[in-house]
Amino acid sequence: MSEHSLRYVDNGSIFTRIDALSKLIWVVFVIIVTFQLQTNLARGIMLGLLVIVTVIFARVPFKSVWQAGPIILIMGLLLFVVNLFTTPSTSTIVIAGISFGEQAFDRGLEFFLRITIMVLASFIFIWTTDIRDLMTGLVRIGMPYRYAFAIFLALRFLPIVQQEVDAVKAAHAIRGRASNSPIRHRIRLWQRYMFTVIVNSLRKAESTALAIDSRGFGAYPTRTYIKNFRWTMTGIILILAFVAFATWLMLWERNLLPF
Amino acid sequence: MNIPTILIINLVILVVLGLIARAVKSDPTAKGGFNFNYTTSDLVIMAVLGALAGVINTWMGNVWYAANSVSPIYGALLQGTFMWAYLLAYFLVRKSGSMLIIGVIEAAVEALLGNQAGLSTLGWGVTQGLAAEIVMWFCNYGKFGWLVFGLAGAGSSQFGTFWSFVLYGWSSLNDYLIAAPLNLISGFIASGLLGFLLGKMIENTGLLRATRRE
Repeated sequence: MSEHSLRYVDNGSIFTRIDALSKLIWVVFVIIVTFQLQTNLARGIMLGLLVIVTVIFARVPFKSVWQAGPIILIMGLLLFVVNLFTTPSTSTIVIAGISFGEQAFDRGLEFFLRITIMVLASFIFIWTTDIRDLMTGLVRIGMPYRYAFAIFLALRFLPIVQQEVDAVKAAHAIRGRASNSPIRHRIRLWQRYMFTVIVNSLRKAESTALAIDSRGFGAYPTRTYIKNFRWTMTGIILILAFVAFATWLMLWERNLLPF
Repeated sequence: MNIPTILIINLVILVVLGLIARAVKSDPTAKGGFNFNYTTSDLVIMAVLGALAGVINTWMGNVWYAANSVSPIYGALLQGTFMWAYLLAYFLVRKSGSMLIIGVIEAAVEALLGNQAGLSTLGWGVTQGLAAEIVMWFCNYGKFGWLVFGLAGAGSSQFGTFWSFVLYGWSSLNDYLIAAPLNLISGFIASGLLGFLLGKMIENTGLLRATRRE
């Protein structure tokens, strides 16, 4: 599920065109501000803003949002339920004929909103950012390109790891070690799969490193890219607008606005 | 309970683990010291292990979330299962900083594959990687025995709970202190010893000779 629902979609939206670093800074700000908010109403407004960003500014396909829905909501819902039944309360509220502890409900809602905001902001970033742009951006702000390349390489290796697992499973199946056997046998099978996959992956890593070295990778302190990183005006506007909104929200919930 | 209290508790635990790691005898040993001179081979090995661990940990993360939402004590039993690749990478690369680097790579892969904490997953990569580095730093990156790896795994597992606390809070200090030994044991076994044993098994294949060349 996640392989299809959590990937960059170049749909030409405003948010997609914003540079990767501005979006990363925005996500960090969202997370920081979320921890500063004190009321569930303010958190609800923040979540509403993120939903608007997802649907209108990022134009994330509904299918992607739907498929990622369980990932976004499940932890928040679990924390909501656990807090609802474990937090002591002095008063009760009735919702749909069922009574809950008021403080427990508030605490549960606080966790639900906080987690959902943070995860949705991260997912907006993932849906709208090409990982190559992020890498060139990180190099631009001083990360050595060899380390940035290591992160990019890890993502490039993901499908190869999956292929490797499939190949090892098939090899075991051909030799009669079927996976529809008792659980103990299956655990032993997975131990064998894992070790074989690690060894094969390391072997691939060796040959990849040799190929990269032979092309002169790392010979110079800097390197060139097909697409260079540049800060965008929309990115700066995004950060400034969010800072203004967050400041207003925090002052409003604390009743510190002069008007 | 607040963040500084939890941070101090975890730092004390890390220092104790580091001092034990420094005191114990270890075989084999190496010259040690800081070495950030990574070859391309080292970086690719960490990238591959990061990808592999990211896939496994994304799946494991869902189990951990379910257990942790019931009680942090249940989560503690699984907390130690996430860092085996950090220790394995250190075993293969044998350079300072490798556990922190693979922590960040693995967490980035996890975040992009769909961890429920989104980009906040990177916080675990940094805290857990850093903790393992601190324990190894106490013995000047010069010990490669199973006990030191176990201690680094334990420290890494425990220090990861600091980030869990920042993100999710914790019901009480009492629960936190009850969970601490479970975190340490699960990290010792499922990360430290597993990473060490996998490293030994890979060493026996002969593949390691190639990975250690300078």
